[in-house]
Amino acid sequence: MKEEIAKIKENSIREMGNCEDLKSLNDVRVKYLGKKGELTLVLRGMGKLNPDERPVIGSLVNEVRDELNNLLEQKEKELKAKELREKLDTENIDITEPSKKNILGSLHPITQIIEEVEDIFLGMGYEIADGPEVEKATYNFDKLNTPPDHPARDIQDTFYITDDIVLRSQTSPVQARVMETKKPPIKIICPGAVYRSDSVDSTHSPVFHQIEGLVVDKHISMTDLKGTLEMFAKKCLGENTKIRFRPHHFPFTEPSAEADVSCFVCGGKGCRVCKGEGWIELLGCGMVHPNVFKNCGINPDEYTGFAFGFGVERIAMAKFGIEDMRLLFENDVRFLKQF
Amino acid sequence: MKASVEWLKEYSDIDVDCEKLGDILTMTGSKVEEVIEKGNDIKNVVVGKILEIKKHPNADKLVVTKVDVGTEKVQIVTGAKNIKENDIVPIAKDGAELPGGKKIIKSPLRGVDSCGMMCSVGELGLDIKDYPNQIEDGIMILPEVYEKDLGKDIVDVLNLREDIIDFEITPNRPDCLSIEGLGRETAASLGKKFKNPRKNLDELEVEDKKEIEGLKVDITAPDLCYRYIARVVKNVKIGPSPEWMIRRLKACGVRSINNIVDITNYVMLELGQPMHAFDINSIEGKHITVRRAKNGEKIITLDGVERELDEDNLVIADEKKAVAIAGVMGGQNSEIEEGTQTVVFESAIFYGGSVRKTAKKVGLRTEASSRYEKGLSSENAIRAVNRAVELVVELGAGEEVPGKVDVYPTKQKINKIKLDVNRINDLLGTNISEKEMIDILEKLDIKVENGFAISPYFRMDLEFLADIAEEIARFYGYDKLDTTLVKAEATLGIRTKEQRIEKKIENILVDNGLSEIYTYGFVGEKDLEKSKIRKELVDDAIEITNPLSDEYKLMRPTTIPSMMQILALNNNKKNQNVKLFDISRNYRNINGEVERGEVPLEEKILTIGMYGDDVDFYTLKGLIENVLEASSVNHYDITKEKENSSYHPGRCANLKVGTDVIATIGEVHPEVLMNYDINKRCYLAELNITKVVKYSKQNKKYQEVPKFPAIERDIAIIVDEEVEVGSIEQAIIKKSKRVLKGKRGLEEIRLFDIYRDEKLGKGKKSIAYSLIFRDKTKSLSDEEVNPVMEEIAKELEERFGANLRK
Repeated sequence: MKEEIAKIKENSIREMGNCEDLKSLNDVRVKYLGKKGELTLVLRGMGKLNPDERPVIGSLVNEVRDELNNLLEQKEKELKAKELREKLDTENIDITEPSKKNILGSLHPITQIIEEVEDIFLGMGYEIADGPEVEKATYNFDKLNTPPDHPARDIQDTFYITDDIVLRSQTSPVQARVMETKKPPIKIICPGAVYRSDSVDSTHSPVFHQIEGLVVDKHISMTDLKGTLEMFAKKCLGENTKIRFRPHHFPFTEPSAEADVSCFVCGGKGCRVCKGEGWIELLGCGMVHPNVFKNCGINPDEYTGFAFGFGVERIAMAKFGIEDMRLLFENDVRFLKQF
Repeated sequence: MKASVEWLKEYSDIDVDCEKLGDILTMTGSKVEEVIEKGNDIKNVVVGKILEIKKHPNADKLVVTKVDVGTEKVQIVTGAKNIKENDIVPIAKDGAELPGGKKIIKSPLRGVDSCGMMCSVGELGLDIKDYPNQIEDGIMILPEVYEKDLGKDIVDVLNLREDIIDFEITPNRPDCLSIEGLGRETAASLGKKFKNPRKNLDELEVEDKKEIEGLKVDITAPDLCYRYIARVVKNVKIGPSPEWMIRRLKACGVRSINNIVDITNYVMLELGQPMHAFDINSIEGKHITVRRAKNGEKIITLDGVERELDEDNLVIADEKKAVAIAGVMGGQNSEIEEGTQTVVFESAIFYGGSVRKTAKKVGLRTEASSRYEKGLSSENAIRAVNRAVELVVELGAGEEVPGKVDVYPTKQKINKIKLDVNRINDLLGTNISEKEMIDILEKLDIKVENGFAISPYFRMDLEFLADIAEEIARFYGYDKLDTTLVKAEATLGIRTKEQRIEKKIENILVDNGLSEIYTYGFVGEKDLEKSKIRKELVDDAIEITNPLSDEYKLMRPTTIPSMMQILALNNNKKNQNVKLFDISRNYRNINGEVERGEVPLEEKILTIGMYGDDVDFYTLKGLIENVLEASSVNHYDITKEKENSSYHPGRCANLKVGTDVIATIGEVHPEVLMNYDINKRCYLAELNITKVVKYSKQNKKYQEVPKFPAIERDIAIIVDEEVEVGSIEQAIIKKSKRVLKGKRGLEEIRLFDIYRDEKLGKGKKSIAYSLIFRDKTKSLSDEEVNPVMEEIAKELEERFGANLRK
């Protein structure tokens, strides 16, 4: 009996050693340890043994079974590892083959600039305001201290629908509308389309976009205006940008200024974009005129404020290196996809 | 405004070069457009004398000359015809530079060395009209007196050097449209004393008279004419002006005409007050009336053009006729002529708004009108007319008639503004002392008395404290202002719901491969026709009274034509697979708002336009569904739309919330495509973002993730082509609900296959759905689902004649 068990053990270990895959290993397991396996049969045949031998043989069989199970398990691990290695070897891919990406569209350069500016001012606590493009002349002009005989109201510059209704020639009417409806503190920017009676050429368009800013509160000063615009210029045009104020005149601000920024293309050395001057005229601004406050129901003795406005196309053109404004409104998809 | 630096020096010492002066004045508010340094572009050109002229050995048309250029004698070859020996001529020597960048270099001409060039008037950059004795296509022959200047720089000899600064003057500063005004700014900017060479005019007293030399003046439109002063000079000798005056006029861009006319122009440039001169004999009845023109009244202006006027225009008239359009231009009928002996100088102040309108109406914007329209000082007018008389006497052009006729119905207002030092510092963010403020103001002739700043007569723009603050800031230095950040109550910087939705929509569309376009709000009537826009929308279009062109005549009531134009452009450029979107506005005058002076309706519209291999109606439908999902519009119906004339009647749908149409999507009508020369199917969607925002409901609530398994069943049916899958789905959902109640139900219905095949029969289609049923409280059994499937099959058969496929 003992010899028989030793034989079984020897055979099974040998066969196990010959196994190349999990299936043949399983066959070995069934052959020796299955329900009708050779070792199992030995155990079943123990009834025929005399009672003295039974415990001895019994424990021997169990001992061998445990040993075989361990070996099987070990062998199985080895084979699994080998199979995995083989699988990985066959699944090598060429990662330089084309991807299955989504083809993305694009936001128009004007939108990109507007969003960038919006984000800067949102971060400084400004809201984004909006108003009609077909606007009352009172909002576009009168309330902004531009009375009926003012040259800015010339039909050469402004599109008229009726004597009282115009296409807004600036985003400033939104200022007046906000001041009429909201109490200070007011901090807004208003991006939007404006209309001027200019024929289309490489630097003019009858429709273009402005971003207007307005702050009204107690103790708002011109140095606040300068600081705010400097912050904006640095964030939008680069941290090294410098800002320069020059006195100017607008009907709706006093004192008024034009703000130049150091050329963000050449850094102020002088180039084609800044026409060799090192500075680029960026925007008009100033302290809200007391008449504008009065016209919009805000007490100019109690509050001060500043306002500024600039053209989006000019910034977009300078930033993206677009030389002809017409490209922005032609909408050739080969142009649009570049942004 | 062009100013000669030489003239400015009469008002202020200038110890910086022109470029620097320009920079300084720009920073104090007189923006410099251009600095012109005349004469600087001529280098190494000297006075020379032709000693001999010989034939050229190799060329018939050339001669070889010997020229004395002072320091040496040089040989010059020239083709000039008008020279002879002993002529004094300008010589560009070897290495000379001429205007326009031309360089002269010693070189052989047909084998003979030429060491320079003789110059014509034009080659020196001069105007032949200023040198009437010279010829245009020949060498400039200088008078013999210049022989003493042999070898000297021609620029100095002919006095060609002139520094000119061209200023862009803002409309609030008409006083700076004068040398005096710019001189004051120059002195203040450079920290120099303002020399005030015309101080005598401030002190001069001229007696008021009812009439002089029989001349009377009346103003019948005092609302348009605030002051009218006439002075007279007699025994006038019309002739040329002295050279210094011609030169200054020229530097400022004014051509000399004769001494009297030049004096009016000179005074305007010097003091900023436009002047006019009449021949007294051309004034009928010697009676000037400043009146409104009669409707249709005509006058021939000095430029020889007949102009028609109306009641809104002001004229200077005698007893019979208009002799000038007030503030714009004089009439030919009262022009100063060769034989004029007695001259009337007019110095008047007209209402700027009226001059502007008149100038525009007659299409004549003059030096005078552009000054008047900004509002001029009545107190300066008297100085100007006295200055004109002074100049007549100084030039010996005539004799002064004492006294003036001065009609001055509306006295100029002088503003007193309290100099509130704290408020000025508050407004500017500065800490400027009172003394410093007063110093600045006094440099500008703004006196401070008893704590009040007094606006000088020439500064009518100073009305408010803010105006005074600006003066202080200008000379304190805008560049010295600090940069601070607003220290105020905290405000919330946040996008509104609409703005957030708009951004989400943009992102989804870009992720789906669409590119954003920007279009004008204008369309033409033709565009509306080409896009077959429905009449009710066409009626809402808003007309611009002064459009740039017919294509830009209307504010669009719909964005379709704008998108169609861009699709057509891209198609025309052979761009494949074009997917575009535009978030912009339409403008609709629905209830006559515009006529009532109200603003019309403006709606924010998302417009999508696409064509290409990978798009069809369902691509578009999917996009819009995505957009609505992202916008949290969860409940809407899709209904077929056959009436919208811009779209294919069989391939168009409206998306509605209740009865409110929030979007229209579909294939573009073939006729519209034809109108735009597009040879492929295009797809359009219009989504009203304003309405989307209204119906957007963001009330998401967590639903328990299912614990129990679902049962999935497929069902395939054959139906007639006309049966819409939407109604089949509705029927399935409704039936499931009726049979399975409580926590049990149809969780998902998914159409996974539609196919058409002759084997199915003509006009038939096969549709296959996958249905998922679930009970949230336990595992669902087949016994529960089977009856539902049977009921569904029965329902579909009864309602749609569907055959169940097994």
